[in-house]
Amino acid sequence: MEAHQWMINYTRQTEWIDRRGIFLWIAFYAGGLGGGLYLVSLYFNSLWGMLISWLIIAVIKGGTHLIYLGKPLRFWRIIAHPQTSWLARGFIFVMSFVVLGAVQLLLTWQMPGSAGEIIFKVLAGIMAFGITLYTGIILKNVKGVPFWNSALLPVLFVLYGIMSGFGLAVIIALNGGDINLAAAETGSRWLLIINALLIVVYLWRASVRETVGKQSVLEQLHGHSAPIFWTGIVALGIVIPLAIALASLISSEIPTALIITGVACEIIGGLALRYCVLKAGAYKPLVAKAQ
Amino acid sequence: MRWGMVVDLSSCVRCYACVAACRIEHFLPMGINWPKLVALETGGAHPEVSTYSVRCNQCKDAPCVDACPTGATHKRDDGIVAVDQDKCVGCRYCVVACPYQNRTFLSKDKDKGFFPGIIQTEFEKVGKKLYPHQIGTTEKCNFCAERIDAGLAQGLKPGTDREATPACVNTCPARALTFGDLDDPNSEISKLIEARKGFQLHPEYDTDPSIFFIDGRIGEWDGKNVTVEQHREPESIGAR
Repeated sequence: MEAHQWMINYTRQTEWIDRRGIFLWIAFYAGGLGGGLYLVSLYFNSLWGMLISWLIIAVIKGGTHLIYLGKPLRFWRIIAHPQTSWLARGFIFVMSFVVLGAVQLLLTWQMPGSAGEIIFKVLAGIMAFGITLYTGIILKNVKGVPFWNSALLPVLFVLYGIMSGFGLAVIIALNGGDINLAAAETGSRWLLIINALLIVVYLWRASVRETVGKQSVLEQLHGHSAPIFWTGIVALGIVIPLAIALASLISSEIPTALIITGVACEIIGGLALRYCVLKAGAYKPLVAKAQ
Repeated sequence: MRWGMVVDLSSCVRCYACVAACRIEHFLPMGINWPKLVALETGGAHPEVSTYSVRCNQCKDAPCVDACPTGATHKRDDGIVAVDQDKCVGCRYCVVACPYQNRTFLSKDKDKGFFPGIIQTEFEKVGKKLYPHQIGTTEKCNFCAERIDAGLAQGLKPGTDREATPACVNTCPARALTFGDLDDPNSEISKLIEARKGFQLHPEYDTDPSIFFIDGRIGEWDGKNVTVEQHREPESIGAR
């Protein structure tokens, strides 16, 4: 008799990371990155930053999410149930941002400083924040996966999105964009430290949340996800960017290539974080206690 | 009215008749099973095996209904959680949200046919017409809602009259499955739950499943409320 192992042992979720689930992983990350960059661009009042963030959300996030759907031509139906579904709310955030952001970009280009521009900046900013937030809430609300059941997860996703946004802002500044390089570097540096601490707290809280939560953490630290966790999140995502940030603090002259490397590592770190979070999400067994 | 089911763990003989009956009733594609049998061994040299016949729990507070962004997954007045495949976009949030892992996304590789590339059986041809399944959408047990609706329209009573009762319940040779109205205190399943301390799987999720198990070893059911005892996870199901 065939025992359904997935029902009597802890089993990780596969729909949102394996095979076509890869597209959802990219969509989740692109949402955080684009939303974060838009918020950072609002702070610096950078038209280039706003344009790039709009493209990231409209093209990369929207496109990969569409590819992931089983019936992509019915995408418009996702708007139908926002009363309870965070996925529907997220879709509304994305669509609203695409429309409001496009109008805002036009107004900023043609009529900078007008009342209309300010209003659309505020509205698009709210939507951008919603985009960085909703994917974390979606995961947090999944009852069967203890590893995700934490209010820290949406916070972590938002802060990682904003940190990656600061990283892209540094690139824009280096290319002569309308952003203060030193301020962008400082923002990125501080968020890097905060996020590193947040990851430690998140993993610690998850490890004491239930047996399955502990299994998910062990999967990150010692299991199949360990190479991505240690290489992607820790080494590339935290240690190298932090080392470059410290070097830039000590030495005023730091090669541009090194700064770009640091930003690239940060972005890889953000991708790796979402990958590991999705990959390690595991269900409690249906009828037996997890061993 | 709230349709529910009782699974008698001491009666199930692991014959898979419920799985087969469901496959025939709904012309299920090769890669999908709505009901599943979960075998759990306990003990050492001479293990005892408990078998759980599981399927969508038709939860009263179903996480899949809340998660669905399109409203394709919805709750009927009789408590059945149904999926409108014409509205489903295949986002799979419901699959991820179901803590009991009882929903399936129908991908192409799950619908290759019984003899892929060689022949399409008559069963499959008829199924495509009578009960089409849409690739790219999500599926799950629906308590044979079509049979219930048709039976009620004829004045029949689900759980009592075979024509109005789910196929798995009808076919079970050991009478391990009982179907009926949970809201009716005089129904057979309500009496079974009360007399034999029926319990739900993972009551700590607060989803209030409509499927109860009896003669198991998890927790207690006092007929109205889930007791504190029931909130514990099982230490060893089937150990006697």
